[in-house]
Amino acid sequence: MKRKHKKAVREFKERSLITHYNSKSPISEQYRTIRSNIHFSSIDTEYRTLMVTSSGPGEGKSTTTANLAVVMAQQGKRVLLIDADLRKPTAHYTFRVSNAKGLTNVLTRQVNLLDAVSLTEVDRLHILPSGPVPPNPAELLGSRMMQELTKEALDEFDMVIFDTPPVLAVTDAQILANTCDGVVLVVGSGVTEKDAAQKSKELLVAAKAKLLGVVLNRKKMDDKNYYYYYGN
Amino acid sequence: MEETISLKEIFETLKKRLAMILLITLVATAASGLISYMFLTPIYQSSTQILVNQSNENQQVDFNQVRTNVEMINTYRVIIKSDNILEKVQNKLDSNESVSQLDSMIQVNSEQNSQVFTVSVQHSDPEMAATIANTVASTFESEIKEIMKLNVSNVTILSKADTPMSPIKPNPMLNMAIAFVVGLMAGVGLAFLLEYLDNTVKTEQDIEKQLELPVLGVIAEMNEKQIQQSTHMSKVRAGSERFEA
Repeated sequence: MKRKHKKAVREFKERSLITHYNSKSPISEQYRTIRSNIHFSSIDTEYRTLMVTSSGPGEGKSTTTANLAVVMAQQGKRVLLIDADLRKPTAHYTFRVSNAKGLTNVLTRQVNLLDAVSLTEVDRLHILPSGPVPPNPAELLGSRMMQELTKEALDEFDMVIFDTPPVLAVTDAQILANTCDGVVLVVGSGVTEKDAAQKSKELLVAAKAKLLGVVLNRKKMDDKNYYYYYGN
Repeated sequence: MEETISLKEIFETLKKRLAMILLITLVATAASGLISYMFLTPIYQSSTQILVNQSNENQQVDFNQVRTNVEMINTYRVIIKSDNILEKVQNKLDSNESVSQLDSMIQVNSEQNSQVFTVSVQHSDPEMAATIANTVASTFESEIKEIMKLNVSNVTILSKADTPMSPIKPNPMLNMAIAFVVGLMAGVGLAFLLEYLDNTVKTEQDIEKQLELPVLGVIAEMNEKQIQQSTHMSKVRAGSERFEA
């Protein structure tokens, strides 16, 4: 029973970090396409703080965030992934790091940023887990300390990527979107309602966010749609 | 909202919900088969044929006579089902069918321009059907003289009704065929309804049309094969993979 659970956890992990465990797979290639497209849309301004969100839960925010962070690190950038989803943090599961110290501890000045950051098994990819779940996530994310933390992180890293709660559920994502250079909206194919996506866009635009574009996740494709350029 | 429906989309929809459509069709067909075979009382039909023919002295066939006989049949049809006859039938049968029940069981059919007409009786008991048909025919034959004020009866029973072997109703095959078609239509209709009610984003086109935002990329849903592949890959992983794009 216990072993079965362990196996399930491992498989889940490997599924969510496909870009690291199977970097030649078509899906990893799709993440690299997203990376390139983000890069192309930052011709005038260099996006150094990115935020990934979605309209509702279960559309693949955290998976997209993690894999995007991995492919950016694979490109040779020093990347920090911050789990700003203080309501349902998952990044420490994905990268198997301790969540004893994290974002909330840094924001409440209990620890320094660099002490809370841990290196993952992916080269050049560091992660700041959420830390203990606070009672007031929105206030913490909107605090001055959050801006200082971001500034400090940018001194140390080339890219900072935030994983955030869903836009429609809570206001956290809007608060962060206001301060990030670019926002990526994840839309789950067959999951996200059109109206919900539309509403999310309006909320993000209202927060003066720079919406780079949409990642369509979970799209059902036939095997023949895959393009095995590298061969497996 | 203006929406164009392409043939391809229709096929996609049907393909996606094929299992559901087939299931509904199968269930409908099976249910109708089950009801036909198990629950519906089989109805048996038994028929007798009666010839209407005046006896004429000369040996030639008189066409006027024939015409008259053919037209008489219309009258006889009514007479056969009249209370006068049916009450007598009921008395002879000494069964518990009422006159109106008898009336609903009996059908009189005649071919065009033929002097023969058929009396059919439908009943849940095959022997009873034959008995009623024969009783009606014989009663009619004996009563017609009096009713029509004839010297001799001008009707002859051509063939007696015999006990039918197999029921005419229900026809399970026909019922199942109907249920199959109806089930198929219901399934297809439901598939389209679900598709229409499904208000989720599905393709890049939906995003561009709805949100007017650029699509940065599309991540395919992982199937089991790929998950296994990636777990296999991870086992034979050699250190850290560097991928310089």
